Amino acid sequence: MLDIKNLMVFFENALALNDLSMMVNEGEIVGVIGSNSAGKTTLMNTVSGLIIDMKIKEQRKGGERITVYGKITFQGEDITDVKPNDRVEKGIVLSRERHPIFPESDVMENLKIAGHMKKMSELREMTEYVFQLFPALFDLKKRKAGFLSGGEQQMLAIGMALIVKPVLLLLDEPLLGLSPHLQSALVKAIKNLRSESGITILITEQFARPVLPIIDRGYVIENGMLTLTGTGTELMENPEIKAAYFGI
Amino acid sequence: MKKRKERIDRGIKVRSEDIFALCSWREMLYLSSPRLLPIVGLFVLSFVLSLYWQKVLLSVSVIALLAISWDLLAQSGMVSLGQALFFGMGAYLAAIMNHYWGWSPFLTIPMATIFGGLFCTVLLLPVLRLRGIYFAMVTLILPIMLVRVIEATRIFGGTEGISGLTPLPSRWFELYIIIVALLAAFFGFRRLMGSDFGLVLKGINDNDRSVMNAGINIYWFKAQALFIAGSAGAFAGAFMTHVYMFVGMPVFALDYSILPIAAAIVGGAGTFAGAMFGAFLLVPLSEILRGLGGLRIVFYGLFLVVFIVALPEGIFHYIQRKYNQFERWVEVEK
Repeated sequence: MLDIKNLMVFFENALALNDLSMMVNEGEIVGVIGSNSAGKTTLMNTVSGLIIDMKIKEQRKGGERITVYGKITFQGEDITDVKPNDRVEKGIVLSRERHPIFPESDVMENLKIAGHMKKMSELREMTEYVFQLFPALFDLKKRKAGFLSGGEQQMLAIGMALIVKPVLLLLDEPLLGLSPHLQSALVKAIKNLRSESGITILITEQFARPVLPIIDRGYVIENGMLTLTGTGTELMENPEIKAAYFGI
Repeated sequence: MKKRKERIDRGIKVRSEDIFALCSWREMLYLSSPRLLPIVGLFVLSFVLSLYWQKVLLSVSVIALLAISWDLLAQSGMVSLGQALFFGMGAYLAAIMNHYWGWSPFLTIPMATIFGGLFCTVLLLPVLRLRGIYFAMVTLILPIMLVRVIEATRIFGGTEGISGLTPLPSRWFELYIIIVALLAAFFGFRRLMGSDFGLVLKGINDNDRSVMNAGINIYWFKAQALFIAGSAGAFAGAFMTHVYMFVGMPVFALDYSILPIAAAIVGGAGTFAGAMFGAFLLVPLSEILRGLGGLRIVFYGLFLVVFIVALPEGIFHYIQRKYNQFERWVEVEK
């Protein structure tokens, strides 16, 4: 479904992604595990197309700064140069790192803004689905999003991605800043999401322990390069992963 | 073959950052010429220009002074739309001291500089807590308000202003006092922003809460920055009052607020050099366009729009980048 071929991203002279190739099949949950500065967020920005926007803005600030090479195919269609908003219409939706939400709007408004391209009836249905997935949000419907706690904001951010009914959901570090309890609740929710609506999920994370059990396949990246691939259980039993990500 | 653009510091830049720079004329020249250019340039200009263009140089320097004072405020997280407040405050203070109290310009200009800066700081003290557009709005309104106060109460000459003030000794004196002041402010501000004090100011611009977290009273620092910037503006006002031998309501005009900002934006904000460069580009340009009559503002505006769209980083940043770095296409290695 999603096919990334030889992706290279340079930030000025620094190499963020080096010749990365990976693929995501329909209905899979694929995890990308990597430590800080491994290139996870760059990968997500490239797949969601945000890098195109970043590139233009940097260019305006002065000179050619971001260089992207490689090919991204989505459902058999080359989307390498497709603008981020068009990618959302094709069904690629990103929930960005550090849960950016609209702090001045309340929870309900946030969901409405995120789902503005959907019909009213569809939106209502999806809102109900989000509240079912994150019951905590239902009680906070009228609360200003800026006053929510970090975990609630994270749930809202994921809800905002879900409301568009994505074909491919990109989750960039969804567990960042959540308590272990909330982490496991969120992981469970992600698993349910797949089994209920059958959407494909690509998830990046540095907390490997909660994520590895639910993913079908995983990629480990370091310094922008692919170092390991395998199924979730394979990765869990790999001694290197255990040492690096579980601290055993 | 895949290629990407590589950007590297020029060899001479890297070398001249080192102590070895002192061993080679070329590297010494590389380091010093950008610094010497404004000094030498201004003094040479003052000699070769005709009388008319010397007058233009005066107003260019005044706008440049206002532009770098705007830049200082902008770098400390205070975007001001009211450089005219500083300018007008200095102008009226100097005129009052000269006309009512009979002080000589050698006393009124320094006094107006200090007290102008002080009064502006006190006036803006209550709004230091405001950020961004709110601070900008207040600074925009204050000079307009002061004009109306003078108009309504008829103090300080009312709508007619105060004329017949003491002129400065000679036109060369006028020229050199503003050139020296401009250079002193320019290099002083650059030095200031490089010091620890400047670091705090830049920090306030980036993230004021983090600066507070470091145990620093940001309002005290902001007030100091405001005083420094206000004094520079007030000096420009006091100086111009004695050059024109007149002060009136136009000193609070919007021109003195907008032109410095336009100069700083076109030249490139955040370096002072950009703001100065912008003033030396825009003010003479508006003089040259005078021949176009009514269409002058249209062409002037078009020029501004084209520049801001085509070179949003500012001219100075572009030149600086080309001076320090070069770009080339290199093959992407696997």
